[in-house]
Amino acid sequence: MNIEVKNLCFAYKRQAELIKNISFRLARGSFLSITGPNGAGKTTLINLLSGSLKPTAGSITINDAPLQSYSIKELAKKVAVVRQEFVPVFEFSALQVVSMARTPYLGAFAFESEADQKAIADALEMTDTTCFADRALNHLSGGERQRVFIARALAQDTPILLLDEPTSFLDLNHQVKIYDLLKAAQLEQGKTIIAVTHDINLAAQYCDQILLLTGRSYISPVSQSNIQNEQNYYVGKTQDVFTQEQVEKVFGVKTFTGTVGQEKFFIPLGKFAKDTTQIKRKSNSIQSK
Amino acid sequence: MTESLTQTRLIIRLILFIFLLAAVMFVCSLIGTQKISLSSVLDGPGSTPGTNTDYDIFVRVRIPRIILAALIGAALAASGVALQAILRNPLAEPYVLGISSGAALGVITAVSLGSSITTRINMGSFGAGASISVFAFLFALGTVWLVWLIGHLAGGSGITSLLLAGVVVNAFFSAVIMLLISLIDSQQLRTTIYWLMGNIGEKDFSTLLTSAIFIMAGIFGLFTICQKLNVLTFGAQEAQSLGVNPRVVTFAAFALASFITAVAVGLSGLVGFVGLIVPHSVRLVLGSDHRQLLPASTFVGAAFVVICDTIARVIIAPAQFPVGVITAVIGGPIFLLLLARYSKKIGYQK
Amino acid sequence: MNMKKLFAIVAIVFFAVVAIIFLRHGSEISESTAKPALSKVEGMVVPRRIVSLSPNLTEIIFALGLGDKIVAVSSDCDWPAEAKDKPKTGSFWQPNTEVIIASKPDLVVCETFLQHNEAAQVLKRAGLNVLSLRVESINELFAAIRLIGQATSCLEKAEQLDEGIKEQLGQIREASSSLKRVKVLWVIQTEPVRVAGVNTFVNEIIELAGGQNAIAPTGDQYPSISTEAISGCGAEVIIQSAMGTQDMAKQQESAEKFWSRFANLTAVKNKKIYVINPDTVLRLGPRIGQGAQAVAQCLRQKDLGAITP
Repeated sequence: MNIEVKNLCFAYKRQAELIKNISFRLARGSFLSITGPNGAGKTTLINLLSGSLKPTAGSITINDAPLQSYSIKELAKKVAVVRQEFVPVFEFSALQVVSMARTPYLGAFAFESEADQKAIADALEMTDTTCFADRALNHLSGGERQRVFIARALAQDTPILLLDEPTSFLDLNHQVKIYDLLKAAQLEQGKTIIAVTHDINLAAQYCDQILLLTGRSYISPVSQSNIQNEQNYYVGKTQDVFTQEQVEKVFGVKTFTGTVGQEKFFIPLGKFAKDTTQIKRKSNSIQSK
Repeated sequence: MTESLTQTRLIIRLILFIFLLAAVMFVCSLIGTQKISLSSVLDGPGSTPGTNTDYDIFVRVRIPRIILAALIGAALAASGVALQAILRNPLAEPYVLGISSGAALGVITAVSLGSSITTRINMGSFGAGASISVFAFLFALGTVWLVWLIGHLAGGSGITSLLLAGVVVNAFFSAVIMLLISLIDSQQLRTTIYWLMGNIGEKDFSTLLTSAIFIMAGIFGLFTICQKLNVLTFGAQEAQSLGVNPRVVTFAAFALASFITAVAVGLSGLVGFVGLIVPHSVRLVLGSDHRQLLPASTFVGAAFVVICDTIARVIIAPAQFPVGVITAVIGGPIFLLLLARYSKKIGYQK
Repeated sequence: MNMKKLFAIVAIVFFAVVAIIFLRHGSEISESTAKPALSKVEGMVVPRRIVSLSPNLTEIIFALGLGDKIVAVSSDCDWPAEAKDKPKTGSFWQPNTEVIIASKPDLVVCETFLQHNEAAQVLKRAGLNVLSLRVESINELFAAIRLIGQATSCLEKAEQLDEGIKEQLGQIREASSSLKRVKVLWVIQTEPVRVAGVNTFVNEIIELAGGQNAIAPTGDQYPSISTEAISGCGAEVIIQSAMGTQDMAKQQESAEKFWSRFANLTAVKNKKIYVINPDTVLRLGPRIGQGAQAVAQCLRQKDLGAITP
């Protein structure tokens, strides 16, 4: 299930253009991270990819067929979306929420078959949410709710997963668990995964491709001058996009970067960061810059 | 809510509800201002009319009222469930989008026209209520469509614009209604108020049959989109991601709910509170899964109105209260309790 | 299922429903605007059990000498005294069909407005004989008396009763014909002020008694009128119907107080304000002659005083 985005443009009503001419191609079984400053259009891009928003120009094709050519039901069998924090008005249990993932597959009188029940149970297990399947969504913590929505996306059994900050409320343990889960889905089931994240280290570790949106102009906290990015996005392999220069330019912060084994890391350095020119040598694999 | 809802489990529960409803209807049909005995009813009609009054009362007065009460309750409860789902608001109820003021306007128009025709042509009471029913139904339905139109022209398919359109239309119509009220005389006013307070009369069987077909068809239509309503409560974007077309489902639910409500209003005026508290109460006990909530509310709503109507008939016999008074007296306190419970949750709505 | 298809289906269903309703109710409407129904009543013997749902109809039945045949009446039937003791069928506005059926009547008499009409339909379906009468003018009163006479096989007595009333009214009309017309304002209620207009039977009585309605013809039968209109109407006599018959003196007092603000009216200046017992005047029944007499007295009375016929 490959995704191709060509010259995608989008602007909200009566606002400046937000998504400016973005093109990229994702082969089947890729794991892409969309990242960038606030307001750069990450959530908007997810909504465009899921079909909720219509682009003002350009095209999105899934498996060589344009997005609009899919009916809503067909698209739901291809793309599952995990959006940001949401609390429903009516009380539904976690189990009920995850069960809704099977809606595109249900017949006229809409009852889950055995296959559906299995998909639901598996999804609950994978996200570690079986223990509170009966609890109402409003009675769960933010992190637990997020896991339920991820379970729903998994139960939907789609070749493409779109996630908007899936781990923003999760503790370290669950952050790793979820990303491990997504990575396993990518490698073992060949799912194509696009995840918006603020954590560039996680993105660097797990994702093989990065889409770095540069967003609008901003005031650099270092130079206090107005910076306009010439390029509004960078896309490509992780190591190509996450260079220190590009990261620092896009986010407007100084970073301390290095590699641990083959995993790159970025540590942001603010005004009060201690002097990093002296690195205490803990292990030979740390190289300072 | 502990296990997922399977088809068998739901069917069993619904059969239970049906039995409950049948029992309620049966018991209430034996209660009234006159004492009648089941055995004399079963004896059948007398050889000449008027000999077995127990049978006559049972068949001509009790049964039509019970059936009508059940239909009204079912229609209003089902409509309430649907509207709460598409408006994503637990305080929504069948009359919120203009039906109440539309029906009131229809009734007053029919009543006013009646008298002016009477004085000019001297034709006797205009249409003995049948035309009032028709006017109430048509105006109610027309008003709802007006609200839908205004809501769409004003703000796309957002539910906020729909609600606002409803408020605007209600306000405007109320002004027109007040104008007409100041012009009609006391007998017409009495007729209007009597009509609007909600009352379950004794209709003939052909009217009951036609109405039953309409209402049950409408409720059945709602049954078929239950799962979609579940998904719709998460918002239009989420619904779309799960394969449900939000605009189509909202429109379908809206059309069906307003239709069955308009039929109910045409038959018996504005019976309040049923469409609001029955869905709530059922939701508290059985959860929000609409595949269960909708049919369960339908049966509970029917039983509720049957019981309220029986109380209305009996409590100040031989006079009787309009059923809307009893549903309000019982429903009002229940509503306050539910409001207290839900007021914290409303704050979360996006 | 896309929007256009759905919309089309809904529109078709809607129009089909409207068509069905109109086709069905069209016949019902024309039925009920036909002459007042007199179902299965011709060719009957004297009925033995009668139910009356209106106080004026009750009075008529008693006047025909059939009072002992009445088995139930509406709660506001209070004349003659025996009527008060009869079992009740609920209020005038809400007849209780169960009680009526249980009384096993062979004749039910009622009027033709909405609530009575609906009850009549139910009773007819239950197989009872129902006589629905429209009694909103003096002529309709005479017709009603005759119809009841016909239905109860006392046509002669009914015609006699009619004659009696006609004579009474005739006398009153004659007595006042030579005198000057007195402008009368007939007040139904004071908050807001509602008066009897020209198209009412009350007006017929006023004219019979030698009066003339102070209010010009209006569309409504009982319009509410503005303070200006009242000030300019030039009423020489104000007649106000009492609310119930308690505290007539008190009602008279508050009426005078209310009308004192219209000091320019002749009626107020000459203190010709009368609070009148509504039972004979506002009830189109056999005692209408007495009522007309009371009105005539009001018009000719030299000094004020509450009139009780």
